[in-house]
Amino acid sequence: MITIFPDILILLFPFVMLSLKLFLKVSLKTQENFAVGYFLVVFVTLNFILLGQNHFYLSNWKIDSFGIFMREIFVLSSLLAISLSHNYFNSSVSLKPKLLNFSEFSASVGFAAFGGIVVVSANDLLTLFIGLELATIPMYALVAWNKRDSEGTEAAIKFILTGSVATAFELFGFSYLYGFSGFITFPEITNAVATAQVSPLLWISLLFIISGIGFKMTLFPFHLWAPDIYEGAPTPVTAILSVTSKAVAITFLTVLVLGPLHSVQKEISPFLALLAGATLFVGNLGALSQSKLRRFMAFSSISQAGYILIALLGNTPNAKYSIVYYLFLYTFSNYLAFFIFSVVGKNQAETFSALRGLSEKNKFLAISLLIALMSLAGIPPLAGFFGKLQIFTTAAENGHFFLILFAVLNNVLALYYYIQVLKSAWIDKPEKEIALSIPTKQKIIILILTLSVLLLGFLPFLSNNLSIAFL
Amino acid sequence: MFEKNLLNLLWILPFLTVLFSIPIKENSPNLKRFHLASAGVVLLSSIYLLIQVFQNTITNPSSQIQLLYETKLNWLNAISAKYFIGIDALSSMMLVLAAIIIFTGILATWRLEKGQKVFLGFFQILAASVYGVFISFDLVLFFVFYEMEALCMYLLIAGYGSGNKDYGAKKLTLTLAIGSSMILAVFLGIYAETGTWNLIELSKIALPESFQYYAFPILFLGFAVSSSLFPFHFWSPAGHSAAPTAVSMFAAGVMMKMGAYGCLRIAIYLMPEGAKIWLPYLLIFIAFNVIIGPFIAMRHKDLKFITAYSSISHLGLIFLGLAAMTPLAFRGAALQMISHGFLTGLFFATIGMIYSRTHTRDITQMGGLMKAIPFIGVGFVIAGFAGLGLPGLSGFVAEATIFIGSFENPSPLCRVITILAILSITATAIYILRCANKMLHGPLVISKELLPKTLPEEKFIIVSYVICLIILGIFPMPFAKLLDSSIYPIYMNLIR
Repeated sequence: MITIFPDILILLFPFVMLSLKLFLKVSLKTQENFAVGYFLVVFVTLNFILLGQNHFYLSNWKIDSFGIFMREIFVLSSLLAISLSHNYFNSSVSLKPKLLNFSEFSASVGFAAFGGIVVVSANDLLTLFIGLELATIPMYALVAWNKRDSEGTEAAIKFILTGSVATAFELFGFSYLYGFSGFITFPEITNAVATAQVSPLLWISLLFIISGIGFKMTLFPFHLWAPDIYEGAPTPVTAILSVTSKAVAITFLTVLVLGPLHSVQKEISPFLALLAGATLFVGNLGALSQSKLRRFMAFSSISQAGYILIALLGNTPNAKYSIVYYLFLYTFSNYLAFFIFSVVGKNQAETFSALRGLSEKNKFLAISLLIALMSLAGIPPLAGFFGKLQIFTTAAENGHFFLILFAVLNNVLALYYYIQVLKSAWIDKPEKEIALSIPTKQKIIILILTLSVLLLGFLPFLSNNLSIAFL
Repeated sequence: MFEKNLLNLLWILPFLTVLFSIPIKENSPNLKRFHLASAGVVLLSSIYLLIQVFQNTITNPSSQIQLLYETKLNWLNAISAKYFIGIDALSSMMLVLAAIIIFTGILATWRLEKGQKVFLGFFQILAASVYGVFISFDLVLFFVFYEMEALCMYLLIAGYGSGNKDYGAKKLTLTLAIGSSMILAVFLGIYAETGTWNLIELSKIALPESFQYYAFPILFLGFAVSSSLFPFHFWSPAGHSAAPTAVSMFAAGVMMKMGAYGCLRIAIYLMPEGAKIWLPYLLIFIAFNVIIGPFIAMRHKDLKFITAYSSISHLGLIFLGLAAMTPLAFRGAALQMISHGFLTGLFFATIGMIYSRTHTRDITQMGGLMKAIPFIGVGFVIAGFAGLGLPGLSGFVAEATIFIGSFENPSPLCRVITILAILSITATAIYILRCANKMLHGPLVISKELLPKTLPEEKFIIVSYVICLIILGIFPMPFAKLLDSSIYPIYMNLIR
């Protein structure tokens, strides 16, 4: 029973939050503290679940070690997003009006996290689809949370339109997969795929499924929506989009490719390799000439999606382990960057010029920024490097040598644009003096995140604990 | 046990220094004293380790690297990477070189007025990265240390440099990053082929020949980027001319040696078949470095550009030694790594001292400096003499060994390039003497009152480098013998 307890807790969270506001009418501050405390409790509970055998509930709710770690990532991401949103509910930030309705906001975040959990626990196509939608629909609302902000509304409309097309693609692909195998449950589909010859029906279904999920994961030809939406959404929502949303999409692909479609993994891996290579190249190219921080982070996260996709070329236990490991480190680095951007952009637009002279105004923030961006760029001994190393090793074991060479050379492009940001923060002189003040709470979170990014990769603690569970 | 802990301390101490220097006030003199003390401790321990290695290494050539004071711990179990460090003859000598350059580098920034804390902090991280490179014998650990410098190099040059600093810093950082990406890709390939990152184990396994054929050039050129081999040499003049004195000393003295060290220790050692196929072709690139480098230096007027091209030509000599693939040439290459580290450190240190007085690096706008600052002038001339291979200084020993060794290689191309390289020493003499003549002699251009006297720490820097150059120049034999114990295994792998 303990294994399913955290899932029930997360499912209850949105309803509890809503009733706190509706019936108990508690203050904003209590709501915030409660939400953060709640997610912390869930996170701690997740750590107590014993790993080992796969558990099944009602025959199609699967809990395995991959699932538990993905739950931890979803919960961690929601926890950090809610603490990041603190500023935005209490005052106007980045020249935009302040956000309202915290309880509904955190309820949506909770629903999105639960959607991710449904995806990772799914054992049939229908559950998988419901999970994906449950994770996506709250995002539409979250992007438009600032309803008096026209940019946000525009972004949300774009997001809904492209997102629903993507959903339609997926459903279409699923219908072919069902037509091909005659079942919607994974064990039967696995058998059907393994025994049948590779048929055009399967290829069509795969094409549509990967295109559909490509939208949500911002893979190369389907990535164009991301910059506008990342820019229009409030910063905490951008952070969730770049972490939770991406994690859900990669989980979806992992569940399918390393699950029922495992026997055709060899056949589709050239296709995946091409997608991964193109995605990280296009993401890197796009980021080269940005001047707005959130738009920049959109391109940066597109290229990160390309890196994660490389892991899917590996063998089963290693690939899952690399994805979880990479996502953990990516979550820390990405949220660290967003926390710093939100502090810097408190009284001005979040652009590169807002960062000017940061090293003179606040050394602590400047060093944290250095660590966050260099980690995203994959410079050792910071966390991001070890995530990438793990992914490359996984792919190298299956002999994708030239894809790896291409990916590591792309790191140089990435290094260039991260250095551009660092140049604003460290080298350029400030245009006008705007005082920077960090609330103590934020300072503590930034400190914790900085230390995590600095140490989690180099010290083998996280890596070895995860690998025990997987390998 | 003591030596083992000392070896671990070498890379941990710089990090601890950075950590404990955070609470010290920005402008307090204790800050630089603290950093200097820490660098001094590292210097003394590296000298102690060198003496220990001297006593404990058997100088008879054997086919195994004699690794002392190993520490082997499990690290990242998922990819079976180990924390594996140790020390042998070559790495102990490189360690002493690095420690001397770091120590004098901190002295060279003694009078830095603004932002000392950040500068010294990043400089210590650079130090940790080079110490780590020279002692790690696990490829992942090696790469972590090797790539760490990218973190600090940009900020140090762009923040504290002179001239076109942002451009130079970016050029340097990104070009070096291209090199290290190539290295990482090949390391991953090696791991996929063998399942281990352990350098000692890998040297016993013969990698598949087909893999060696296409991986060797990528790995070798990847390392050669940081040693500015011909098609990748362009970062070096731009980077050096923009960098502050201490960073120039570090980059030319140690960082560029890391590449040559990697070529010898990893590329040639692990892929002997690939080396035999490719190195004769790479001689063409090397010829550019050795022969064209001095001629470009002749045309330049900026002191740092001259020294950068002189470094390019001297590093070409190291590669000539590597490409000749005879034991004597290898020994010469290793000696040249150390000798050039000292002489280029002295070069850049004296240039920094001159620049801080004249505020120009254009040699046509200087003159008669020997009358005003004789001490620094003599230091510059000694560095120049070591560079053009004056007997009695370390440059002669190293270059002569390389030339004799590479002439032993019977291939006609190698011999022709050796002969041309020997002739190009004349060009080296021309630009160094011309430069010294313009700058140090003739009428004094800037009045004597504007040129402050040589400071005590500057005297210390110059004297310590000159002592190193003379020791290596007059008593090279014990060092050469010691180096053979590291080089012979590499040669044995080649003729296996």
